[in-house]
Amino acid sequence: MPYTVCSMKEAVGVVLAGGRSSRMGTAKAGLEWHGTTLLRHVTGVVDRAVDGGVIVVRAPDQELPELGPAVRVCVDRQEGLGPMQGLAVGLAAAAEVAEHAFVCSTDLPFLHSAFVRAVLRGFEAGPSPSEYPENPDPPGPPDVVLPFVRGYRQPMAAGYRTDLASRIDALLEAQRLRPAHLFEECNVRQLDDAALLADPRLARADPDLDSIFNVNTPEDYRSARSRPAPEVAVERFGVLATGGKRGRLSVRAASIGALAEQVGLSFDGHVVAAINGDQIRGDSTMPLLAGDTVSFISADAGG
Amino acid sequence: MTTPPGGYFGRALVVDVTDGSSTTLTLPEDVLRGYLGGAGLGVWLMDRLGPAGVGPLEPEAPLAYVFSPLVGTPLTTSAKFAVVGKSPLTGLLTDALASSHFAIAGKFTGHDAIVLTGRAESPAHLMIDDDGPRLVNASGDWGSSASDAEESIRETYGRNWRAASIGPAGERAVRYATISHDGRHAGRGGLGAVMGSKNIKAVAVKGRRRVQMADKDAVLAAAKDLRGRSFGPATKKYRELGTLSNLLAFNAINTLPTRNFTATTFEQAPMLSAEDLAESRSVAKSSCASCTIGCEHIYASKGGNKVRVEYENVFALGPMCEVSDPDVVLEASARCDELGLDTISAGGTIAWAMECVDRGLLDATWLRFGDGSALLRVLDEIGSRTGVGALLAEGSRRASEVVGQGSHAFAPHVKGMEMPGYDPRTMQSMALGLAVNARGADHNRSGAYEADLKGDLDRVNGTTEHVRAAIETEDRAAVMDSLILCKFLRGVFTDPFEEWAGLLAKVTGWDVDGAELQETARRIVQAKRAYNLREGWTPADDWLPERFLDTPVELESGRTARLTSERLRAMIDTYYAERGLDTEGRPLRAESFSGTEQTR
Repeated sequence: MPYTVCSMKEAVGVVLAGGRSSRMGTAKAGLEWHGTTLLRHVTGVVDRAVDGGVIVVRAPDQELPELGPAVRVCVDRQEGLGPMQGLAVGLAAAAEVAEHAFVCSTDLPFLHSAFVRAVLRGFEAGPSPSEYPENPDPPGPPDVVLPFVRGYRQPMAAGYRTDLASRIDALLEAQRLRPAHLFEECNVRQLDDAALLADPRLARADPDLDSIFNVNTPEDYRSARSRPAPEVAVERFGVLATGGKRGRLSVRAASIGALAEQVGLSFDGHVVAAINGDQIRGDSTMPLLAGDTVSFISADAGG
Repeated sequence: MTTPPGGYFGRALVVDVTDGSSTTLTLPEDVLRGYLGGAGLGVWLMDRLGPAGVGPLEPEAPLAYVFSPLVGTPLTTSAKFAVVGKSPLTGLLTDALASSHFAIAGKFTGHDAIVLTGRAESPAHLMIDDDGPRLVNASGDWGSSASDAEESIRETYGRNWRAASIGPAGERAVRYATISHDGRHAGRGGLGAVMGSKNIKAVAVKGRRRVQMADKDAVLAAAKDLRGRSFGPATKKYRELGTLSNLLAFNAINTLPTRNFTATTFEQAPMLSAEDLAESRSVAKSSCASCTIGCEHIYASKGGNKVRVEYENVFALGPMCEVSDPDVVLEASARCDELGLDTISAGGTIAWAMECVDRGLLDATWLRFGDGSALLRVLDEIGSRTGVGALLAEGSRRASEVVGQGSHAFAPHVKGMEMPGYDPRTMQSMALGLAVNARGADHNRSGAYEADLKGDLDRVNGTTEHVRAAIETEDRAAVMDSLILCKFLRGVFTDPFEEWAGLLAKVTGWDVDGAELQETARRIVQAKRAYNLREGWTPADDWLPERFLDTPVELESGRTARLTSERLRAMIDTYYAERGLDTEGRPLRAESFSGTEQTR
């Protein structure tokens, strides 16, 4: 197929769902999250930030909750090897679609699309010395963009070149099972809090970098779940705004469907939602994030 | 053909307006079945009757009024006709649809199409009734608006006559002059100038021949069902607010062309919104004959003009020219109606000129963005071909060739036809549709905006999926424009080709199914391309102005809507491959216009 510009995307999302969730006591992927599941929520957030869709990697015998449209599912080749196995599988699948992937675990309930984009932008811009503390003369475009938040590396909320899959396979073969082993062997660009928050959109949307907050225990989950749904601005247009329903409102809602219900709209095939003047979605389960502006418009275009 | 199929008369009336003589062209059944009517049959007629290379304004250039098998049946939105010819704006095929009583009256003369050739010696009306065609003196109406000419004919000859007329712009060969009937316009492509070049002010029709239907009871039942569906949620937008409801919505999604496509949002958009104007300016709603949707929303300006308002005329005369005063935009729309000007081409050409003035390229310092009186003044100059209007009457492409100095880079046209109200960077299925369509920058014959707005595709990252979606909408448009059914009805069909085939079968008696209609769609789209190829189309014509490829749009979300040359090239190449064209956009197989295929 010669039309490679049409085929290749800029980035894919990979969500690793195959972890044991031993401390949680139940599969994190299926935890309830504002009317949906945690896995569906996280895949939706990542999907909003990438153009190549999302791949979910599951364990061999794992049943997944229902996922959004166009999410691909891949299977870990072997259980018990930790996230590196899932990373290899996910990146191998992602390599068919894009050069870069944002990879995360399923247990990040406050992950923001702005964080995903800020990380992926790390592949584009030139390095600064502070980002390569062990290498004063960084060699070139990074293989990994690794957030370093609150003093900790965040390999499960990071950007990876998709062609690292074979390198990871070799590490697994040699029983070198930790992400740190991979980082020793490739060009890693670290983004600390300041570097991440230099992105104005991320600074506005997630100033505390709650994106990397993960839930490991039932207490973590209950505490996270008790936070209210994100506050968003919503406006209706055209016939959806008749009967005094014009103007912008501020509403708390976790998904497009929940928002539509709150403002009295039937989110059927004749209504779509545009998020932040950008992506238009007809999927009612698409997650909303703090600071979003949602425009409900008629899908019946034309004229 | 002894007995034509239901819905047809099996013939076209060809009138030489030089002397009023006429012939009857038999339309074989395989042609009718292969091209249906409207736009499809129109391209067949152009191929058959138009000499290759003829200039659009030369006497030999045919101008066809084409009806369809559904006209005259009780099916809702079927009272439509196509006007087809070679465009003086693009030099290529154009077909422009309009609606209402003229379609029915024209069909009832007993013809599936009425074709004009030649040139009358002096201004004339072409009158056609059961006695045949005749020319009558129109010198008293020459110089009047289309609506005044129509009224004059009906007052003089009787209220049963229906007329399609040109305004002063058509008489003066403004390259985007319209043909109008009862306030509706066969607007795009300048066929009003073609009619004016023939010295024909109006085509007036009156007839008593009735359309036969193969299964009348089935058609009546289908009509009742369709009527019910036409009141459903798929048409709510058109019924309640009309297409102008697009304006604020497009503004919210960075798709509203502003200041000659230099921006995608207009700060003053709320002043021109349907939401506002419906409350403050609405005076009436109306519908075409045989239509149950009723999409026409009539607003009044403070000056008293009543105007049918659509998204396209408001975007073109409003945000494109940075004019925000609704009274000015309504007056400007009314002026276009009086003069007989296509509002999209007028607005696009004027916006280009305003940018030229900004850049010091055009000596018309009064013609500034945002200046409402300048907008009204320049419309008059265009309609009369005076002052700077003499240049702008040629359209933005030709005008930019005269002005030079790089002004072609921001002339908002494709193939010479000015662009409608969709920014191609933020609607990339539409971008492809605009680039490749036979008529030029055309949202209507493409319909690809549907794919961008549906929510299934990422509208700012054009891919193979966008190409396939654009092909699908182009095929559906080809059939709807040939059947003819109004596109505002399209949302009521869940399986469009099958359902349309069902309607066609009931009227004609043909054993036609959805697969055949999809093949018919492909044939019509290819036929248009083949005609254009004959008339000088080159691969360079399937492209977009450089402005869209050089300048991305930054979105509030943080993403950038970027339509690069490489992406557009790849999408066009994919379109060619999927359409069975070669890498230069030429058909791999030549089709004879009788409907049978030949291998080149």
